[in-house]
Amino acid sequence: MSLLFPFFKWCDNSWIGAAIRGSKYAFPVIEAIHLLGLTVLLGIMVVISLRLFGFILRHESTRELATDLRPFTWWSITTMLVTGYLLFASEALKCYDSPSFRFKMACLILALIFQVTIYHRATTSVDVDKKPGFARLTAILALVLWFGVGLGGRAIGFL
Amino acid sequence: MMSLFEICQYLQNTEFGTGLRESIWMFPIVEGTHVLGLSLSVGTLLWMDLRLTGKFMKNQPISRISGSVLPWTLVGFTIMTITGVLLFWCQAVKAYNSIFFKIKIALLLLAAVNAIVYHTTIYRKMDEWDKASPPPLQARFAGWFSIVVWIGVIVAGRNMAYNF
Repeated sequence: MSLLFPFFKWCDNSWIGAAIRGSKYAFPVIEAIHLLGLTVLLGIMVVISLRLFGFILRHESTRELATDLRPFTWWSITTMLVTGYLLFASEALKCYDSPSFRFKMACLILALIFQVTIYHRATTSVDVDKKPGFARLTAILALVLWFGVGLGGRAIGFL
Repeated sequence: MMSLFEICQYLQNTEFGTGLRESIWMFPIVEGTHVLGLSLSVGTLLWMDLRLTGKFMKNQPISRISGSVLPWTLVGFTIMTITGVLLFWCQAVKAYNSIFFKIKIALLLLAAVNAIVYHTTIYRKMDEWDKASPPPLQARFAGWFSIVVWIGVIVAGRNMAYNF
């Protein structure tokens, strides 16, 4: 972990980090956008998971639903990453010592890998709805990983 | 007769309010549930609203989406109401003094009025426009109005943490 310390220090010292730290309004505004992104992204994960479990929207396939949601998914992930980096840069040294931040980053990396592998396969395959085991496992992983990111993020403010 | 401020003071000074505010685990858990509950409340309602605006899942009848999604939205709003009341209870004076809390309550009332108007008027004639794309103007308006108001609720709620 100490190998990463220079990176945290660089982010903390960067002009953008210092600018956000120095502004009264920048952090709250970026934080609010980050929270709107969370609402959309976790909302998508809830809806897709409910569909994978077969609880809702059974008239259309998971694949159709995921196709409708895909632009929102990638826009919300992009928004989260950009605003998340900006928030991080403004308090990178605080994050370095935060167990919550480490937990969040571990969940985030796993969630992103999951998103382009298992989740991608489940939401683009034509017969995922005929494989309830695979569908449910994907739904549970999606909820655990993405809510883990959210939980870790909220916890940065506490410990 | 107690003033509103005195009621707020009384609430947060009750044993329960003080205990919750000063607890190591309960307060973060309630607060965390309130934040993550956004996914289930607004995060599910959003798709219904987007369908009403005519921008999303145009091929699906609206009744199907609202029938599927709204029960889960109500579960989400129940969670939000319970955790929200608890959060208010333990820091009522802070809320009383926060302009953002007042904005949030005003926007929540607007959202409620919008939902009531929608459900008592055009929703009752759903059969006539269920598959329409785009939906009638009043339905599109209800969808956009809801999206904008809920964005406002989230932004105002988050900003209660700050004193400008």
